[in-house]
Amino acid sequence: MSPLLRLGSHVQWLREQGALANIGEIARRYFAMNAFDGVLTIIGVLMGHYSAQVRSSSIVLVTGLSTCVAIGISGLWGAYLTESAERKRDLTELESYTLTDLSQTKIGQASRTAVVIVALVDGLAPFLAALIVLLPFFFTALWEDIAISYYSSLGLALASLFLLGAFLGKVSRENLIISGVKMIGAGLVAILISYLLRITGV
Amino acid sequence: MGKVRRLVLDVLKPLEPTIIELAEQLSVLPGVEAVNISIYEIDRRVENAKVTIEGSDLHYENIGRIIQENGGTVHSIDEVVAGKIIIDDSVTPQDPYQG
Repeated sequence: MSPLLRLGSHVQWLREQGALANIGEIARRYFAMNAFDGVLTIIGVLMGHYSAQVRSSSIVLVTGLSTCVAIGISGLWGAYLTESAERKRDLTELESYTLTDLSQTKIGQASRTAVVIVALVDGLAPFLAALIVLLPFFFTALWEDIAISYYSSLGLALASLFLLGAFLGKVSRENLIISGVKMIGAGLVAILISYLLRITGV
Repeated sequence: MGKVRRLVLDVLKPLEPTIIELAEQLSVLPGVEAVNISIYEIDRRVENAKVTIEGSDLHYENIGRIIQENGGTVHSIDEVVAGKIIIDDSVTPQDPYQG
C-alpha cells in the first residue's frame, strides 16, 4: 500500500472513530475552554511581572514557560482521568444492555481513541495558546525594550482571545465579530483588575 | 460441502455504528451479494435488527465477526438456505393462518 493510501485509510479510520465516540464536539469544547484558560493565565502572569516592574525577559520567559507547561500537564492529566472515567462508565452502561464485552469492538476502540485525543487537545490547547502569547519575549533582544514585548504580548493575547471568540461564533453560527469582542472583554477585565491591583499597591 | 446462500439473523446492536455502516461492511465480504437490515425494536441505547444476507457463498464466521466488531450480538439464526439455488420454506397445513 502506498504511503498516501495508508494515510488515507488512517484518516478514514480516525473519522469513523470520531463519529462513533463523538470526539469532534467534545474536543472542540475542550479546545476553546482551555485555550481561553491558557491565554488568561498568561495575561495574569504578564501583568504580575509588569506590575512588579520585571525588566528581564528571561525571568518572564522562565515563569511564563513554566506556567505553560503546568497548564499543559494539568489539562492533559485532568482530561485523561476524567474522560477515561466518563467513557468507561458509558461503555459499562452500554455493556449492561448488550450483555457482552464491548472493549474489543469498534465502540471500545473509539472510546479509547477519544480519551487520548481529548487529553491531547486539553493539554496542548492551553499550552500552545499561552506559548503564542509569550512569543514577543523571545525577541526582546531585537527591539531592546522590554516594554514593547509586554505590549505586543498583551496585544497577541487579545488577538488570540478574539480569534477564539470568532471560532466559538462560527461553532454557534453567530456573528463572529460580536463573539470575538465578547471574548476580548474577558481579557480586558483581567488586565484592568491586575492594573488596579498595582495602583492600590496590593 | 454445500454453499450457504441466505442467512437471516436476529441481532441486538448498539445504536452506533448505524445499520447503514453495518450493511456496508457486510456487503463487501467475499461471497456476499446483498444485505438487508431492518429494525423491529428500538431501545434507549440498543436496537434489535433482522439481518438478511444473500450471496453465492456466505461464511458465517466472517459475518459474525463483523457484527461483533460493531458491538452486536447474534441472538439467533432464524433462517438458513444452502445449495445450488435459493428456496423458501414450503407451506404446510400446520402453518399458522397468515391471511
